[in-house]
Amino acid sequence: MNDSNNPLSPHLQIYRWHISSLLSITHRISGVINLLALILIFFWLLVLSFGESNYELFLISINSFFGKFILIGFTWSMIFHLLSGIRHLAWDLGYGFEIKTANISGVIVVISSLALTIIFWLFARGFI
Amino acid sequence: MNETRKWILHRINAIILAPLYVWFYFSLISLSTKNYSEAIYFFKNSVFEILTITLFFVSFFHAKISLNEIFEDYIHNQKIKDVANILTLISSIIIPVIILVLLIFKI
Repeated sequence: MNDSNNPLSPHLQIYRWHISSLLSITHRISGVINLLALILIFFWLLVLSFGESNYELFLISINSFFGKFILIGFTWSMIFHLLSGIRHLAWDLGYGFEIKTANISGVIVVISSLALTIIFWLFARGFI
Repeated sequence: MNETRKWILHRINAIILAPLYVWFYFSLISLSTKNYSEAIYFFKNSVFEILTITLFFVSFFHAKISLNEIFEDYIHNQKIKDVANILTLISSIIIPVIILVLLIFKI
């Protein structure tokens, strides 16, 4: 079927990005990253069931620089998806559709996801 | 499952998952600095065990609905889309069941 009247997807090279469209695709990507994180957690529990020596090795790898980088990234992805999800739920209830409100809520989601990731890690690691 | 029901279930799942994830990630980040016996002690707590199992089942169900949408948008070959959807369905059942067995019988 070749119907020239079909709507086109945006041409990404010339598409002018808005915070709404950027956050929409980031919500999707962060969801997929969260799934990868959940698969890592699945292996975490699997290794735990394999006994102490295997688990110690796992702990060394997740506490390496690269390991921490991944875990902090996964935490940001989860917090971002959660906050962005709340924004979507507000839309579902009919709130926040005005362009100005949607832009402001988008900026709030981005900034607070970064701030909360830092606070979350400081609390969970016992620094606060 | 009809689309409206899927849409509603997806949002209910999200509301269940939000507090569970905050608790679970917080616990895991704390556990990453603790040793094997403390991790075992954590997962032997029956409340935490039930919450973890619930998180896995609900998360994979949430992920399954989302992945179906993503496949619908980006995969144009119907056969590949069907295979991707079946693989998603199978793993969204198998992984939580493995977690259930691990937490109840192995850890």
